[in-house]
Amino acid sequence: MRTAEAVTINISFTVNGSPYTIDIEPYKTVLEVLRDDLRLTGTKQGCEDGNCGACTIIMNGKAVKCCSILIGQARDAKILTIEGLEGEDGLHPLQQAFIDHFAIQCGFCTPGMIMMAKAVLDENPHATEEDIREAMHGNLCRCTGYVKIIEAVEAARDHILAGR
Amino acid sequence: MRFDYFFEPTSADECTQLLNEYGPDAKPLAGGTDLVVKMRNRLLKPKVLVSLNQMPELGRVYKYDDGIKIGAMARLMDVSRSPLLTGPWEVVKRGAGHVSSTQVRNIATIGGNTCNASPSADTIPGMMVLDAVATIRGPQGEREMPLEHFFKGPGLTALERGEFLQGFTIRNFPNGNGAAYKKYAIRGDTDIAIIGVAARLQVDADNVITDARLVVGAVAPVPLRIPDVEKLLIGQALTDELAVSVGEAAGEWIKPISDARATAGYRREMVRVWTKHVLKEAYGKAVQK
Repeated sequence: MRTAEAVTINISFTVNGSPYTIDIEPYKTVLEVLRDDLRLTGTKQGCEDGNCGACTIIMNGKAVKCCSILIGQARDAKILTIEGLEGEDGLHPLQQAFIDHFAIQCGFCTPGMIMMAKAVLDENPHATEEDIREAMHGNLCRCTGYVKIIEAVEAARDHILAGR
Repeated sequence: MRFDYFFEPTSADECTQLLNEYGPDAKPLAGGTDLVVKMRNRLLKPKVLVSLNQMPELGRVYKYDDGIKIGAMARLMDVSRSPLLTGPWEVVKRGAGHVSSTQVRNIATIGGNTCNASPSADTIPGMMVLDAVATIRGPQGEREMPLEHFFKGPGLTALERGEFLQGFTIRNFPNGNGAAYKKYAIRGDTDIAIIGVAARLQVDADNVITDARLVVGAVAPVPLRIPDVEKLLIGQALTDELAVSVGEAAGEWIKPISDARATAGYRREMVRVWTKHVLKEAYGKAVQK
């Protein structure tokens, strides 16, 4: 007999360095688990069909849109969200640069923008403006017109490079 | 979005067994970038998902004596950067690199893009002009099928009960082959293709075309190969005039529809133009060798 309730799955992963092992309904997305179960609401729910990029997180070192990833796909994954960026020395250079360069207006796209930008700079610390624009075209912002965002990412890149 | 069971088989045998047991109630899950969105929008309502993510061998890309094998679970980002995809095979990299955004390519797979069976899929025209062969795994073992026969309509494939797509085989090509793919979309790669055109041309020592493939996406219920138009190229060197006239023929041959992205007439115009460009690019690559 098929049961009316979905059979939960047991799954382990880490978020921002903290390990989790949970029993969870397999139809939940990574975004839903982060926001509703782990109460990490920095990752935003935008279009929910993989277009806008507001839900961008870094999973196993790669930027992904977690609104369209089922929690079962995060088995043993290392997840980094916007909440995990701030270090002991304060804000991450990208977070500070977004503030300093007025790259935030309503702020809804910002966590996704910053996580995507982090993935870009992690992979290529010398990313050019063109590299940044190409890599970030899957993140939509309806306020800023993108210029300030790109400026902020470039400033953070220079800051990080100078600090090495 | 609801479903009852989520399975994570670790072998192909176990996978086909599950898909066979649940039949039409089950769907294989690759990267999920299309499937999860379709489920949320209630376009698909499977009761059972069978994840292919715990079979790492399905993601392999490797060369062998007769060509190259691309596993169905190879992520599009990895395909788009694969150092193994050289020469005419580069057209596969190009197609994979045109799918959506960085974040989507990081998780979406080439097998998923295929089985989603969208007429506008960016990876398909390039693989079809390379005569790619799909390897299908089912309860009875493996079977192979030319990719151009894999598509049965929008969202429909040749996969039968218990079967999943295991990967692709693409043969070696002799010198004198060149291939190209161009996508046309308003907002760049984030957008779904309005049309996409791929071509492969093979030339002899005198740069005369001896073999040709032309495949157009988003102009029919399936990615469309046009043998009647390919024939126009055989036995000739590519001139600007020939590229234009073959483009005109391609524009006549297709049967596009009007939808939210473009009208049928606009698609026809763009196929004329893009075919011309793609033929020139493919020919340029073929004669360089």
